[in-house]
Amino acid sequence: MSKNPLRPYPATITEVRDESVGIKTFKVVLDDEEMMKDFNQEPGQCAQLSIMGVGEAMISITSPRTRSEYLEFSIAAVGKLTDVIHELEEGDKIALRGPLGSSFPYQKMQGKDLVFIAGGIGLAPLRSLINFVFDNREDYGHVDIIYGARSPKHLCFKEELFETWPSIDDVDLYLTVDGTDEDDNWDGRTGYVPDYLKDVDPDPEGRITVTCGPPIMIKFVLEALQDMGFEDEQIITTLELNMKCGIGKCGRCNIGNKYICLDGPVFDLTEIKELPIDKEL
Amino acid sequence: MSTKAIDKNKLSELLNSLLFKQTLIAPVEAEEDILLFKNVESADQVVLDYQNTITPVKDWFFSQTEELFEFKNKITELEINDLPATDGEYILFGARPCDLKSVELLDLVFDEDGEFSDSFYKEKRDRTTIIGLSCSEPGAYCFCNSLDGLSPTATCNADIMLTEMDGDYLVEVLTDKGEKLVSDNSSYFSDKYSEEDKETRTEEIVSNMKLTVDVDDIEAIMQKEDVYLSDYWQELSLKCLGCAVCTYICPTCHCYDIRDYSRGNAGIRYRCWDSCMFNDFTEAAGDHNPRPTRRERVRQRFMHKLRFFDERYGDTGCVGCGRCLEKCPVNLDITRVISDVKELA
Repeated sequence: MSKNPLRPYPATITEVRDESVGIKTFKVVLDDEEMMKDFNQEPGQCAQLSIMGVGEAMISITSPRTRSEYLEFSIAAVGKLTDVIHELEEGDKIALRGPLGSSFPYQKMQGKDLVFIAGGIGLAPLRSLINFVFDNREDYGHVDIIYGARSPKHLCFKEELFETWPSIDDVDLYLTVDGTDEDDNWDGRTGYVPDYLKDVDPDPEGRITVTCGPPIMIKFVLEALQDMGFEDEQIITTLELNMKCGIGKCGRCNIGNKYICLDGPVFDLTEIKELPIDKEL
Repeated sequence: MSTKAIDKNKLSELLNSLLFKQTLIAPVEAEEDILLFKNVESADQVVLDYQNTITPVKDWFFSQTEELFEFKNKITELEINDLPATDGEYILFGARPCDLKSVELLDLVFDEDGEFSDSFYKEKRDRTTIIGLSCSEPGAYCFCNSLDGLSPTATCNADIMLTEMDGDYLVEVLTDKGEKLVSDNSSYFSDKYSEEDKETRTEEIVSNMKLTVDVDDIEAIMQKEDVYLSDYWQELSLKCLGCAVCTYICPTCHCYDIRDYSRGNAGIRYRCWDSCMFNDFTEAAGDHNPRPTRRERVRQRFMHKLRFFDERYGDTGCVGCGRCLEKCPVNLDITRVISDVKELA
């Protein structure tokens, strides 16, 4: 019998980090060493994570394949499965299948300047590409990262934001928060991501942009990028819908002739404009 | 490919003889007037003079519920095992042309060559010989003849096709699997008919078709933004009850849900048919729903059948079996939708 495409494989959680409010990052290693070695995910791809008896969800892999000894997943506790995952500790088991879905066009991006625009946990999928780019630094041009969260406490990947990434050559980081609490001690910018993007005003010439975040942020970022003169092919983002099978068969993430789990989650604006979507959405 | 004949009284003898070696799946009367494809223990149970079964043959290749694997889990221990694979050989007898065509379409979804080919579907497909049965009297809701490559006697992907004649059946042997079955059981078959006899019989049967619909250009019309955004879908959806019977009995609907069943530290993961007609089908965490009302869900069903499936796989997702027309409690009629949408363009 051919390989069962819906069967996940046991993996062990080797590290749990508190990332931000309600978000934890899990470092996971497949128990089968060969399988782990051959996993070879491309930046932006996802995996299905399972807790047996609870369920399965498609989660973006936030670590790059250049760091192939493990897979990292940053997960917000927002539902039945993710609540249970948040209770897991180092040494606990989880099941995993993948890699699944499309990847960021990292080959097409070679030699280009890059702008990463993210909000909240939307930095997680971009982080796989950002670290992939930094692990192959000579292949890519200037990197701008524009990132915002609800408050300083909600910023993810703080060590990379404040220490690792700023120390890399030819990188500019632009951080902003929607608002602050008294105990935040924040002397950075306050405001929304699309406004910061307009202030940074990157030149479309030779640049590719990658955006991920809450739907409302994506909407205004895409509008701003088009106003700045970026062509649809220079604007890359991700779509997300409820998914089950992850392999383009069970039907629920269907939009037009695409299955988001298989043909996505990564799309450029040309592809998105071809999808039948109600104007009001 | 060759054309042969089998006497009506020899057909049940043949089926009984096949039963010794293989599992036979055929239309049986499960309850009064409820015809389903089921495992058959004796050829006497097989119903031959029927218009169509309630559920289509997808029920055999893509089961209503299917166990995917079993697991044993404790917090720091986890074992996941495939279940024993299907063994044995199967004969699916009595599939109508519409259902045969639907298996061609489901092959495009489940049995593709890629890395995600559905092992459960593929295993059953590979192990099943299909004996199709032409319709002698098309039903009041049948409109297969309006669709490309379909007719009440179309052979589609059958291994063997039977067409009822006067006192016997015309037998078309269409594939290697079919050749094997016929040569292994050659005493039941005789040489009597030719391809011309089939054509003559087809003309006779087609002349009895009651329902026709003009599907020309329907995909292109459905692609128009005006049609997608039309108020028509709102009006149409007002009478839909969201019961989903149309999707369960549709031979080409392939949506499914995945669930776990566990007791203590062990359990199984299984899948079961699901439906785009249900509100929670597309509901995501945080209450976001891209198809929030019946308008979007009813539109999705017709768009998928008549446009999206064709765009993705190159063939219309409707086979004209008429089951959804017959069973819809509020007469939501795909043939009416096709002509209405043509008016919109």
